Amino acid sequence: MGQITATWNKTIKEFLRQKTVLFWTIGWPIIWVLIGSFSFTSNVPSETLSYARGAISISMMVFALMTAGMANLPGNIAQDRERGLLTKVMSMPVSPWRDFIGRILALLAFSGLSAMLVIAVGFACGARFFFTEIDFGFALVFILLIFVGSAGIGMLIGTFVKHVHGAIMSGVGLTVVSAALSGVMTPYAYLPSVLQDFARIYPISSANSAITYLLVGEEYAGYNPLSTSQPVLTALVALLLFVLGLITYSRFCWKKE
Amino acid sequence: MKFNQICCYYNLLFERVKSIQTFAVLAEKVTKEYGKKEVLKEVNLKISKGEFYALMGPNGSGKTTLASILASVKLPTSGKIQIFGKKPEDAKKITGYVPQENFSSPLLTGKENLMYFAGLLGYSKREAAEIVEGLLNKVGLWEDANKRVSHYSGGMRKRLEVATILFPSLKLLILDEPTTGLDPSARRKFLGLVQELRNEETTILLVTHIGADADLASRVGLMDKGAIIAEDQPERLKKSSGLENVVNIETSIKNEKVANLLSKFSEKMKVLETETGYRVFTEDVEEATPKIVRSLDQIGCKAIRIETAKPSLEDVFFKLTERKVREVD
Repeated sequence: MGQITATWNKTIKEFLRQKTVLFWTIGWPIIWVLIGSFSFTSNVPSETLSYARGAISISMMVFALMTAGMANLPGNIAQDRERGLLTKVMSMPVSPWRDFIGRILALLAFSGLSAMLVIAVGFACGARFFFTEIDFGFALVFILLIFVGSAGIGMLIGTFVKHVHGAIMSGVGLTVVSAALSGVMTPYAYLPSVLQDFARIYPISSANSAITYLLVGEEYAGYNPLSTSQPVLTALVALLLFVLGLITYSRFCWKKE
Repeated sequence: MKFNQICCYYNLLFERVKSIQTFAVLAEKVTKEYGKKEVLKEVNLKISKGEFYALMGPNGSGKTTLASILASVKLPTSGKIQIFGKKPEDAKKITGYVPQENFSSPLLTGKENLMYFAGLLGYSKREAAEIVEGLLNKVGLWEDANKRVSHYSGGMRKRLEVATILFPSLKLLILDEPTTGLDPSARRKFLGLVQELRNEETTILLVTHIGADADLASRVGLMDKGAIIAEDQPERLKKSSGLENVVNIETSIKNEKVANLLSKFSEKMKVLETETGYRVFTEDVEEATPKIVRSLDQIGCKAIRIETAKPSLEDVFFKLTERKVREVD
């Protein structure tokens, strides 16, 4: 059993055993899938209803991934620091990189589980998707980019916000506000032009649009997020956030005074 | 002449190597500064292999900083440190550190917590399971091994955390204020466990502000304002302080007038205020006690309880610094 496995085991168990984490990451998006599928779709023609429900389910899946990365990860880091576990681990022959990989893999597993549950509930509510195998493959890549971008932001919050509640609240706040402003929870077409620009730069929103475009269709995405430069921009910004978060975490969280 | 010089040189070198090998902890002129604040002032510390050393001092005296430097969690500003002849950074595999905080995860069971630390130390799953079983037995938590730590009492949690430094590869155990917050029964149980850890191979450094805990050590260093102000065996420290007898008085009133009156009977040092009364340091207890009761009575203060005791390490610290080790006695 290596350091990565040990950290993975510990982190995933902590995620799965915290009721608040389960509620905000899985329960809350599922509630919105239910509300959205049955209340917000009353004016939608019956032939497109299942796709509208599909788009809602994708948005809520993205919201679940955002909460996992941007609130649960910093909460977990801050918790370990606040209760002295990070001090204890620093006194042991542990590599920060292995600790980081263990944490990220646990987050990936938890995010994956949350995403699957949200989509499964959406499917049960009548959501349907229309895609080829290649579309599905690309959608998975964009899901991974959402995970990477959220985890990067989460590491930044976890490094700089020292207290557990502060880290969680900052993460939840940023998730809700950025999801509302960038078109994850609001249709892209309804956003003012400034926010539409933001939605294209913010990798989580542009990846959300790309997944919707690939699995449901352009009219639900609001624009073509797969046009020449957009996917490159999405990938670059997501990776940049991740690298920034990683450097900050390994430099500052593990810094010896 | 030249031959003699060479012999002398090799002798010195041999002595140096020997001293490095014998000492589990060797700290020379260690300083630590946070901005302009000097937390450690050229601290020298030598702890022999197999020794049980207690570092005692009030909050803010620098003992936790020193312990965390030895545990390679913090860096010194200057000075030299060796743990079994190695730099602290290179001695992590043989150093076990229990910080002040309750670092175990309340969401995991006791067994899962220990399995996590076994994994961090690089044990295989099978090896880890065997060792963890032994450790849980050793700290008396086998029956509660599968309970979540959130259901543990403070004492159980501390014993679990001590188990994280009992893995076989660890030779230097650093415990930072492990008994703080424990009730008397849990504290006694915990100290019993620490006593059991003493052997020729294991060196223990206990950081504490409780005299009774430090009393268990083979040697005690009293720390104040970033420096070790006295260091010896507990009994010798008490003897060398010149304190012989202490009268513990529980009084009905506590004020300056009572303290001033009692200070006339405390020939050896200043009267020490406690939670319920005062500690008076006198040579002849039998002669002084009735006089104290009478005098207190004359100023309208009742002596509710009087008992004689031997001086504690906290008294020694008070004598040296005129400051209490802890606020509540």
